Amino acid sequence: MAASATTRRAAVGASTGVLAVVLSFAFASSTRVAVALSLFLVILIKGMVLLTSAQLRATHPVIARAALTVVVIDVVLFATYFFPANTNSNLAIGAAMSIVLLGLSFLTGASGQISLGNGAFMGVGAFAMAIWANHHATSPIAVGLLVAVVSGAAMGLLLGLPATRLRGPYLAGMTLAFAVAFSAILSSFNSWTGGDSGLQLPTAATPPQWLLNFFGPGTSLLTTNSMWTADIAIFVAGIAFFFMANLFASRTGRAMRLIRDNDVAAELVGVSLPRTRVVAFVVSSAYAALGGSLTTLIDNAVSPSTYSFALSITILSLVVIGGIGTIPGALIGGIIFAYSNSVITWITNQTGLNPQGNLASQLNGIIFGVLLIATMLFAPMGIAGTVRHLRHRRRRRVPG
Amino acid sequence: MDPILTSRIMSDVLGGLTNGVVYGLVALSLVLVWRSTGILNFAQGAMPMFATYVGMGLLSYHLSYWPCVAISIVAGFAVGGVTERVLVRGLYGKPEINPIVVMVGFLIVLEGAAAAIWSTKPRGLPNPFSSIDYQIGGKPFGLSDFSVFEIITAVAVMVIIASLFRFTKLGLQLRASALSPEVSRLLGVRVGRMLTLGWMLSTGVGTVTTILVASNYFTGLTPQVMDGVFAFGFIAAAVGGLDSPVGAIISGISIGIILQFVGDYFNSNDIILVALLILVVSLMVRPNGLFTRSSVRRV
Amino acid sequence: MITIEHLSVSFGAVQALRDVSMEVATGKITAVLGSNGAGKTTLLRTISGLEEPTTGSIDLDGKSLLRERPENIARLGVGHVPEGRGVIGEFTVEENLRLGAMISTTPLRAGLDEQYERFPVLGERRKQHAAKLSGGERQMLAMARALIARPTVLLLDEPSLGLAPLITAQLMRAIHDLCSTGSLTVILVEQNASSALRIADHAVVLHLGSVVANDTADLVAADEKLRQYYLGMVE
Repeated sequence: MAASATTRRAAVGASTGVLAVVLSFAFASSTRVAVALSLFLVILIKGMVLLTSAQLRATHPVIARAALTVVVIDVVLFATYFFPANTNSNLAIGAAMSIVLLGLSFLTGASGQISLGNGAFMGVGAFAMAIWANHHATSPIAVGLLVAVVSGAAMGLLLGLPATRLRGPYLAGMTLAFAVAFSAILSSFNSWTGGDSGLQLPTAATPPQWLLNFFGPGTSLLTTNSMWTADIAIFVAGIAFFFMANLFASRTGRAMRLIRDNDVAAELVGVSLPRTRVVAFVVSSAYAALGGSLTTLIDNAVSPSTYSFALSITILSLVVIGGIGTIPGALIGGIIFAYSNSVITWITNQTGLNPQGNLASQLNGIIFGVLLIATMLFAPMGIAGTVRHLRHRRRRRVPG
Repeated sequence: MDPILTSRIMSDVLGGLTNGVVYGLVALSLVLVWRSTGILNFAQGAMPMFATYVGMGLLSYHLSYWPCVAISIVAGFAVGGVTERVLVRGLYGKPEINPIVVMVGFLIVLEGAAAAIWSTKPRGLPNPFSSIDYQIGGKPFGLSDFSVFEIITAVAVMVIIASLFRFTKLGLQLRASALSPEVSRLLGVRVGRMLTLGWMLSTGVGTVTTILVASNYFTGLTPQVMDGVFAFGFIAAAVGGLDSPVGAIISGISIGIILQFVGDYFNSNDIILVALLILVVSLMVRPNGLFTRSSVRRV
Repeated sequence: MITIEHLSVSFGAVQALRDVSMEVATGKITAVLGSNGAGKTTLLRTISGLEEPTTGSIDLDGKSLLRERPENIARLGVGHVPEGRGVIGEFTVEENLRLGAMISTTPLRAGLDEQYERFPVLGERRKQHAAKLSGGERQMLAMARALIARPTVLLLDEPSLGLAPLITAQLMRAIHDLCSTGSLTVILVEQNASSALRIADHAVVLHLGSVVANDTADLVAADEKLRQYYLGMVE
């Protein structure tokens, strides 16, 4: 029985693979595109086959999550080839921000702590990346990202140590003080950080030659570069999401939820409170730094004014609106962030507000603030949490 | 003349004292709300800022300075009361982060609204007192008419609040409501009103502080005028212990003086760094503040 | 007179009181007895407005107390000495009493003197923090704090809990004396059935939220089955 099922699945897999290759070559304009298309389809189909197996999800959740990650990355990376430059740059920004959001969502959702300083931790990563690149111009991007993650984690550890003994409001206030102090910290090290003007990356991130070959001659640098940075951001975000999904489901993740719900009870059942809290804080800081370093890569530069207290509040708003402690919530928040400026511009145009006026310039903050309050008061689980809740309710209402 | 009076140290102590009483007032207003409702009010700077814009805005309608100050304070009471009734009432007994998030949201809405209505351009408040330092033997001495006024006002506010809590029937009810709301209700205390009153008082204290800050600093009145002061005030409150009004004031003044020395002998960028360091170190040593007696946590 | 009819109170799925009906006569002591979890405390908390009943009615001298706030019920003359006494430890003895006198119409000084006369030990310790008092002294303070408002009804929740037998006896005598004028109505919740029955006029026995006996104190005290099954009084 088992053998025949395996054989059947192998046969289906092989034939769909062959079909994908045949279709690609039949419809594609050139061999290069056909190779890419068939690769894309094979990964997609194989991943889908894996994902549709409920048994796999039950017995090997990690493999199932990996398959999902691969399929999503595969689809989105493929799509970036066709997207215009501004869509790609929005995607890149959204992906970078969603990593930051995922970190804070984890901290808050799993451990019940809150940070008002993740904008500053993002800044730590952004500057670490820029400083590293300026001192090691030839080092690969991945090394720069890694340096940023390590710096973020180290900074998180430093601030997280007192956090082990703090209750929510004290920790929130301390991270607020860090966010407010961040620009002064940058100024104090202005020989490294470039002071008010910030830093420029020595070289822009450009796609490798084999990828450039897919583009027709005369394609603008903007198009190819924005696709490449979007691809990097999406790829890194995919890995970050994969790790976080596993962390949420792990023993550590469960311990954190226990702490959130009742820390005294958690200690009684043997969860180490201080260690778990520090881990949550460090992970959240490292994720913020990773998102920040990608932002530097996307912008090709870093400026201290980006990492203000306002950014920390925006991050908090996005996490709450998307849904605290949920993985889709971080994605939703990232997308909202990427398109928020376009939406504000649209509103300004539609209402005929003076775009240079006082109200138009404050619209972003006011709207985020109102949404933040409204979400917390009326739908504290955010978009993702509320949707999940409604779906569960509907399912339960079905008889049987 | 005694050289100590004109020394750099003396001038730093007095300058630090002037800043420190302001931090102490912000810390006190945070403690008032924390003790009565268990909420750390992140809009504690923005709420009085808004009230100050409303009250001091009447200056352009040919109202003179002191009536405008009085109206600002009344507006502060109103902002505090309405906020408690409308925004905060539903948050009691919710998870710790809910009120934090809501008050952070309120902070950005208020700052955005103030900027939308009155623009981000600083407004100079007329200063009824001179800010020029006194001279002793031709040398400046760290006080001016205005800083003396500032210190006297701050001390007066602290004394008024302390006497209200210690010596009046109302104060007894306010303290009882904070310590033991259910028992208070059984004794006929209208606890809901006391909570509203706590927020009103706290925002009133904040409004006095905002007027002092906006008159004193070169910045004038801006929507973000209280952001930095709030951070220092929070640090003072956390170091002193959010439960302790006396601790809040003492640590506010101490931090003001320490930071004045840091700014004078090091670099002005280092001020907030040192403040952060003080916060981190003191929270590691005494997570519930230096002046809190004990901490029993319930399961 | 307090009239309670068909009173039910639930906490989620748990039903704390089921269809409780009873009358509390003016000027008398009514003991409410029963084991842990019988619903005694819930009954008092519901009368005071701290819990909301799902069904039923509570009337004080013909006026409904339902949906009144606890602070208003206190102002209507219902004094409640809660479970664990509710003494504010951070306050001095006198501050606790001043808080209790807040809703009284008589002058504060006279009220304080009256309570210090009734409980001399409180007068001696008037400047001390209430946290420093012994269990018996705390109970006296809690009672004095309720009495200083001159209530017409006094709800006492387990006053003898944690007290030595000798102190309990003194306390019960004090409660008995309070009612000697016939103007104060007392509902006395107790696990210590024998002490309570000694001073009570009437007794109600609750078991798992329902009334299982409602009779004069003497008859309840004499009922062998009640004593054995519900009151845990084995000689």
